[in-house]
Formats: sequence, structure tokens, C-alpha cells
Amino acid sequence: MDPIERRVFMQGAMIGTLAFVVDGVETMLTPRQAYAQGVVLRTLKPEEAATLEAVGEALVPGARKAGIVPFVDQQISIPPEEALLEARIMNVRPPYANFYRAALSAIDRASKGAFTALDAAGQHAFIDAMRQGTLDGWQGPPAPFVYFLLRTDAVDVVYGTMEGYAQLGVPYMPHIAPARSW
Amino acid sequence: MANEKVDVVIVGAGASGSVYAAVMARAGKQVVLLEAGPDWQLGELISSDFWGRRIKPAGPPFLLEGKNPFGYVYQAGWGVGGAALHYFANFPRLMPADFKVKSEHGKGLDWPIKYTDVAPFYDKVARDVGVSGDAKAEEIWRPAGEPYPMPPMKTFRGGDVWKRGFESVGIRLAPAAVGMNSTPYKGRPACIYDGWCHVGCPIGALANPLVTYLADARQAGAQVRTHATVTRVLTNPQGNKVTGVEYFDAKKEKQVQEASVVVLAAWSAQNPRLLLNSATDKHAKGLANASGLVGKYLTAHFASGTSAIFDEDLQPYMGTTGAQYFSYDRYDKDAHKAKGAFGSTFIVAGSAQKYSGLGGVANSRGDLFGPELAAFMPRAARGLARINAFGEEMPSVENRIELAGDKDDFGMPLGKITHSYNDDAVALFNANFDEGLAIAKATGAKEVWSNRGAMPTIHLMGGTIMGQSSADSVADSYGQTHEIANLWIAGPGLFPTSGASNPTYTILALSLRGAEHLASSWSAVAG
Repeated sequence: MDPIERRVFMQGAMIGTLAFVVDGVETMLTPRQAYAQGVVLRTLKPEEAATLEAVGEALVPGARKAGIVPFVDQQISIPPEEALLEARIMNVRPPYANFYRAALSAIDRASKGAFTALDAAGQHAFIDAMRQGTLDGWQGPPAPFVYFLLRTDAVDVVYGTMEGYAQLGVPYMPHIAPARSW
Repeated sequence: MANEKVDVVIVGAGASGSVYAAVMARAGKQVVLLEAGPDWQLGELISSDFWGRRIKPAGPPFLLEGKNPFGYVYQAGWGVGGAALHYFANFPRLMPADFKVKSEHGKGLDWPIKYTDVAPFYDKVARDVGVSGDAKAEEIWRPAGEPYPMPPMKTFRGGDVWKRGFESVGIRLAPAAVGMNSTPYKGRPACIYDGWCHVGCPIGALANPLVTYLADARQAGAQVRTHATVTRVLTNPQGNKVTGVEYFDAKKEKQVQEASVVVLAAWSAQNPRLLLNSATDKHAKGLANASGLVGKYLTAHFASGTSAIFDEDLQPYMGTTGAQYFSYDRYDKDAHKAKGAFGSTFIVAGSAQKYSGLGGVANSRGDLFGPELAAFMPRAARGLARINAFGEEMPSVENRIELAGDKDDFGMPLGKITHSYNDDAVALFNANFDEGLAIAKATGAKEVWSNRGAMPTIHLMGGTIMGQSSADSVADSYGQTHEIANLWIAGPGLFPTSGASNPTYTILALSLRGAEHLASSWSAVAG
């Protein structure tokens, strides 16, 4: 079979979608669509979601609209063996919500209030210190590890999707395409 | 609940367990494979860095300690195929000198066998699973063997752009030997170079167990039970034979599978955990552990990566996650002696690059974030290429697996892995960065940098090493434990030293050697 034909053929074998709740109904959406539709969060509290969104956007521009919050919230709300988070393969002990709660709380505490209250330059400086593990008053999972995992989540939703590849101008070329463009 | 007794029960349906299952089932034995994870099908191997995480374990059965904690989960397998469902299928061999490091250098350990004992099995595995490469070209580094059954894979600009740099430092390259099809082979298609090998190849062009030994095993009648988590190996009252294993099924109900022979093929960390958790009054320190060496002499590889951005469209997303080229020109244990280093280095060039994920483009500059990362990604999207130098760590008894006080969902103690690199390894890590940068600068690339970060741990070997007797090791060179004749071990845990080569080809060769020996000595072992 011609390789191109085979790729098209294999796209028919899609499995797996991400389930979000919209207006009380479970719906299959991309995180970007979930963000746009304002899905109800299952696990993250509003202040946690706000911090995650701000940190994600500061780490990878575009992460907010790409749906980092609904992505992480959905992923920490499902059984760990179904999760697609980088935390899964970095030896984080389930339930993963515990890690995110501890990480986001540590960020806000070390921000002397709320990360969202920092201006853009302040957020950038804060993240750079988090990356290097030089933040004063940090209490939580190791700061460079938090940097790595949250950055990966943000990279995932911005660049790891079929939309992300298109944005970079490179072909995705799946053998088996992920459902809903990722 | 007890199940009908079988001839062989194998714990783990990954690379080594699948070989044992195929050989023993073809020999007419009743074989049951117990696998803790799911029964993956090729059609579930979605081309995505997100979905690729599904075929790895969720959460830690191991606590990680030491100066260089072992990166357990991202390298582990979960489900049929094991880690070989997401491996890169680089198929370098160990070299003759790897088997006698202690004798020749006074460091590390010796293997109880020589390269020539394993070489015929490298050739057999190549025929069984399909290897593409140029064996003749490799003869500048190793003794001659059979030609590979397929010619080398296609190369791409992401590999070719490095040639000038390697020439500048006198390093010769050969087409990489890989467990992939450059041409159709045994009913499996040729690779289409889409670069998604690391999340599982669903077309069967890459030699994962689902399309090789595990398929053979099933064809020959082996039974595979998934979501079956083994917690203990059982022994008779005298303690001189194993009688089977205890496991928990998908409903978390305890089961017993009796067998004449037990083969532990659950990777370097899980095998010792099981042996230690199977202690009895006759084996107070754990099974096969009179030497006290169960869980000891863990080794890892470390990679010194170098990246470069070229001013041309390299199509870095094309190719295979495995290498296009490799070299043993720095494999001599003393190749970087002048820099205080000891150990082999194995060099690869030309891996396909995807954009997210652990080995993706974004992580080639893990220090960048915000606007700097946003500027970097389009710049690297078409021009990034990478080389890697894998280094060898000498075995240390301090690098080990033990049982922890904390327990998993089945009441089994978690394992604790303690791992630290010694000064030789750190010096080799640094020397390889230095040379990588020199190579990159000589390519004419417009940006070059070292992928420095925490010293990584790649591949996990040792923990149940082979040797001459129970005074110095856990098993013999076939994997038969010294203390209990019908208890066998398979996989990289048997490696006394690690070399610097990717381990799976050697895992398959040793497993084939061990399984054929088990089959041919069945009466003596199981009688």
C-alpha cells in the first residue's frame, strides 16, 4: 500500500476522547473548545484554576486559550491509569490532584499572595526563580520539578496537538490520528 | 483461587517474557503469561505524545532516592509488550570487551560468558524479529556475524547534517542497526518514517513484542492474562523448589497459578521486588538471595545530548525515533581517560523530533519559557537536529532496590531505588558534552548547545546479576537462579555491567539463549 494511502487508512482507527461536562451533559471536546465553552471544572477550585491559567500562559504564550485549565482539571479528575499527563511518567504518586494542589498552593504562597497579582515582569522573574529553585519561602514539591511539569502541560496543549503542529507549519503525520485533533 | 497447574508461568509480557513464552510454547509446554497492565492492540497505539503516556505505568511502585534518582516510570512498560512497546528499537550489540571489564580494567564486574556465547543469538534474534542495518560496516568495531536480514533504513537530512562534524573529530559512522523494517519482512510492512516510534508503532513495522515473539507465543498456544499483578513467588515447604505465583486479577481477587517453572520477566526493578517480597522461613532474605545481592548492582545509562539548529529545512519530524547512524568509536572504556572518565560511550545521530513530550523540540531548551520559548519553537521547527552520546556506569553495590515500608494497593511493599553516579561516570558525561559541542560546531550549524540538565538515568540494568555462583551473583548466565533450579530470571536485570549500547537487543539475545537452554534441559529443571 502506498504510504500516504496507509496514513489515511489508519486514521479510521481512532479511539479515545476527552470528556467534559457542558450544561450538565458529557461532551467530547478539545481543551481549546472546552475553554471557549467555559466547561464546569470538576476538581480545581476557582483560585487554583486562576493560578494555573496565569502560570501556564506565562510559561507558554497561548496556553490559556489552548485550554490548560480544562485539560489539567479533566486529567486529574479521571482514574490515574487513564491520565495522559506528564506527571504520570515522572513518578508522581496518584491521585495527581494532590500534586497540582500542592504545586499551585506553593506558587501562590511564594508569590506573597497570588501569582495572578504579579505584573508580567514579576511573573516572568518568579518563574525564572522557580525554574532555578531559588525562590524564597517555597513550600511544596521541588520548584524546578513544578516548573518542568507545568511547562510540559502548557507545551502539550499549545504545541502537542494537531492544531499546534499546524501553527508551527509542520505536518503531524499520524499513523493513528488522536481523536478531536490531538 | 487456584488455577490448573501449568508447565511455565512467566511474570511480565514484555521483551524477555515474550521470548520465553514463544520458545516454551513452541516446545510444547503449557505457558501462562501474567501481565499487570492491559492487553494493548496495535490499533490503540495513537500517534500522539499525550496518548503515548498511556502505555507506561500510572504512578510509582518505587520510591526514588540517591544523588541521581532513577527515572523509573517513563522508561517502564505497562501492559503487553512492556517497555518494548514504546522503545526506539535501536539495536546495537554489546562489544567483546563489555564481558570482561573487571579482568581488563580492575573495575566493575566480569560476565560469566563471552561475546561469542551471545553472538549467535544476536544473529538469531535479527532473523526472528527483523533487523535493518549494515553488519559489514559494523565489523570495524566487532567480530563478523551474519548479515542483517534487511538493508539499512532511509536516511534524512537530520542525520546527514552531522557527518561533517563527526569527520572533524575522527569519529566514523555506520548505518544504525534497528529493529525496524526497511523493507516488508515476515508479513509486516516497511516503515513509513512518520517518526512516532516512541509512542508505539501501530503498523507493525517496528519489532515490538506484539508483532514478534508475543504473537509467536500466542500462536503456539501461550495464554496471556492481563491485569494480573503478581505479588509473591511461592515455594514448597522445603524451600528447594518454587511451586507457582500468587497474583491479583482484574477484580483484585487473589489467585494462585501453580507451575513447574517460574520465570520472572518483570524488568530490573520489579523482579528483585518480587524476590524480596517472597521471603519465607527457608529464605529469610528473599528468594535466590543467599548472596545478599538481590536488588544490588543496578546500573543506568546517561546521555549527553547536543542540539543544533541548521539554516535549512531538515524535516526533523521525519524518520524514526531510533537513530539513523551510530558509532562505537568512543566505546573503548578509556576513550576519555584524559578527562578522568572511565566507561564506554555509544553515539547516535539523526533521531526524528516531535514537538512536545519528553524528548520533544520544546524540551531541547528546557530553560526557555514565555516569549523566548514562543520565539524558539518556530525557529527550531524545521531546522533542529540532535545527537546523543550514551555513557556507561560501572556497577556499584550501593545502587540498589529494597523494599520500603509503604505498601501498594495489593498490600505489597513498594520498592525503593537508590541510585547515584560515581566520579568516573560524571567525568564521562562531561567529556561527551565537550566532544558533542565540538562536533556540532564543525557542522556549520547556526546555533549549537549542550542539552545539559540533571544527569539522566536511561535504561535500567542489574539487580539480579548473572555470575559464576551464589557467592557472587543471583543467577547463572542462562538466568537460572543458583539456589532454586526451577526459578528463572529474564531481562536486563541479569547484566553484570551495562556497556553503553541500548539494551533491548541484548535482552532478546540473552532471553533466547536462556529459553532454549530451559527447553533443552526441561527434565532436569522441572522434574
